[in-house]
Amino acid sequence: MRLLTLYLRSRRAPAALLGAAGGTALMWALWSILSDSRSAGPQMVVLTVLLLVVALTATLGGPDDALEATSAFSWVPRRAVHLLVAFLVVVALVLVTLLTGARFGPAGLVVRDAAGLLGLTALGAATAGVARSWFVPLGWTLTAALFPQAETLAGRVLTWQAQEPGSTAAAVTAGALAVSGLIAYAMTGPLRGAPAEATQQ
Amino acid sequence: MSRVLGIELRRSAALGSALVLFVLGTLLLYFVEDIAFATGWMQLAMTQRLYLGLLWPLALAAGAWQASREHRSKVAELFASTPRPIHLRMIPILAAMTLSVTAGYLAMGVSGGLWILRTAEYVPAQVFAVTAVGVLSLVAAVWLGLAAGRLLPWRGTAPALAVAGLGLLLSIPGATRPHGWLALVFSPIYEMNMPAAYTTVPGRASAAQAVWMAALAVTAVLLFASRGWPGRVAALLPVALGAALAITVMPHQNRYVIDAIDPVARELVCADRVCVSRVHSGLLPEIGGPARDGLTILAKLPDAPSEVHEDTTTYRPDVYPEPSPGVVLLRIEAGPDGHVTDRDGLLAEVVAGAFSNAPSCPDPGSPVDRLAAAYWLIGREPVTTADYPADVTAEAAVVWHRLREVSPAEAQSRVVTLRAAALRCQGVSLFPENES
Repeated sequence: MRLLTLYLRSRRAPAALLGAAGGTALMWALWSILSDSRSAGPQMVVLTVLLLVVALTATLGGPDDALEATSAFSWVPRRAVHLLVAFLVVVALVLVTLLTGARFGPAGLVVRDAAGLLGLTALGAATAGVARSWFVPLGWTLTAALFPQAETLAGRVLTWQAQEPGSTAAAVTAGALAVSGLIAYAMTGPLRGAPAEATQQ
Repeated sequence: MSRVLGIELRRSAALGSALVLFVLGTLLLYFVEDIAFATGWMQLAMTQRLYLGLLWPLALAAGAWQASREHRSKVAELFASTPRPIHLRMIPILAAMTLSVTAGYLAMGVSGGLWILRTAEYVPAQVFAVTAVGVLSLVAAVWLGLAAGRLLPWRGTAPALAVAGLGLLLSIPGATRPHGWLALVFSPIYEMNMPAAYTTVPGRASAAQAVWMAALAVTAVLLFASRGWPGRVAALLPVALGAALAITVMPHQNRYVIDAIDPVARELVCADRVCVSRVHSGLLPEIGGPARDGLTILAKLPDAPSEVHEDTTTYRPDVYPEPSPGVVLLRIEAGPDGHVTDRDGLLAEVVAGAFSNAPSCPDPGSPVDRLAAAYWLIGREPVTTADYPADVTAEAAVVWHRLREVSPAEAQSRVVTLRAAALRCQGVSLFPENES
């Protein structure tokens, strides 16, 4: 238990959870105030999921990843569990709104986007470092949310975040990103720069 | 200072930001929808502004990411303890990011311009104003990002700021309804979609938007350089002043940009009996040939028209070209490749134009008889073109066959009657006796 507490603290999990909960509350409040419709628009749902994923991104790395790597833990299952828990947090936070007056759904869309975006972020963390891991998810999701393309297969794959929940192409893309992100992050962990990235900029 | 700027350009987010704006902007221009900017430079400038909807939030994120550099590298405290004035550190990074977004946006414009370079000739001064406001809005965004990143140096700041910026842009039109002109003041992307051929952005609209964006940029710099709460509160003064000034400058009139028409773009440019609007002047060579052939064919008619003019009708506000029996009107639209949409059908369109009612007529007339008469004059069966639905062409073919069955003299008189009726704004049929 003490190890878990220390781990969560080193990953700044409380702040990240607070940020995620705050983000959900903010988006929920905005929709409740500004809209008469009970179901939030798909654009709003996609942006909320993105915001939550981004809030949890910081927990993917610790203050000193090189030091962590020297400890005799088996990191692979731990990292995988970390990602799965993050996924559950995002999905749970968003889907809780289904019980309220401003519903952020449908569940299929939330689950797909949360899985795909977390995978993409984890992939970014493993290849470019935690600090840069939000670049691609952010740019890609904003583009897809603004200009969804549903006509062609390529369009559905490239803007998978904003497709209908039933879209197979989008689900497959999200699944592939989720799995590859999970594998890459669990196997290698976040890209290790020098401590505090002093040499990276 | 310039040496420091050089180092900052190489070792900051400047290069990456410029590249992202350029690449993403170019992809948006070419691949999001059918190319909407093919008509001319004004359309390109406005389409670029429309895509600020994505680029503006990304510029916010780029600024915030750049500003969190010291925090990421854990040198904020060290730098704060050095006795150098704060502006020595601020100015190079502000300059680097400004250069970066300016270069990215302009490069995006150049990549779009290459597409229309050979067909678009008319470059109104407003194009530069629209582009300048676009650049200014990106500069304001990246500076705001720098300020936010410095005041809130957390990992989530930059992406959250981008999401907030996008949300802001998307919610401005709804929040200001029914005062559309207010949205025009505050949103650089408002009313920039689907620009028509003779469209323009009036100078006053650009001026108001420039005032607002400049005020936002000044506030951002003050926030970025601020060291305490008094300075941060004082930084809100320019933005409040700018908003007030921009609201006064902008005409309080909805659909101000959508309804704007550039009279110079609409003016006719002529070459050998064929006139097109100035915005389409680059298309004159490809229109001239078929149009003159059409006039030659029409010469078989009594009182034949002697000139082809572009139909420069606009709706909302309704402005019609002067009706004249000696002029055939031709609707011209540039397709996604910048050339005339239906080059094969141009000849038939010119000839059919002699049988159409003027655009100001309440009765538009029947396209079937028009086409049948035109193809009878040309002397070949109606073919399907992009301008008409297939069933209209099929009906026209039936009428065309009937024209061929009757004696040439009678057919000629029916066709002449059709033209005379069109000149009087009346829609008559080639075979009126069968219709009742």
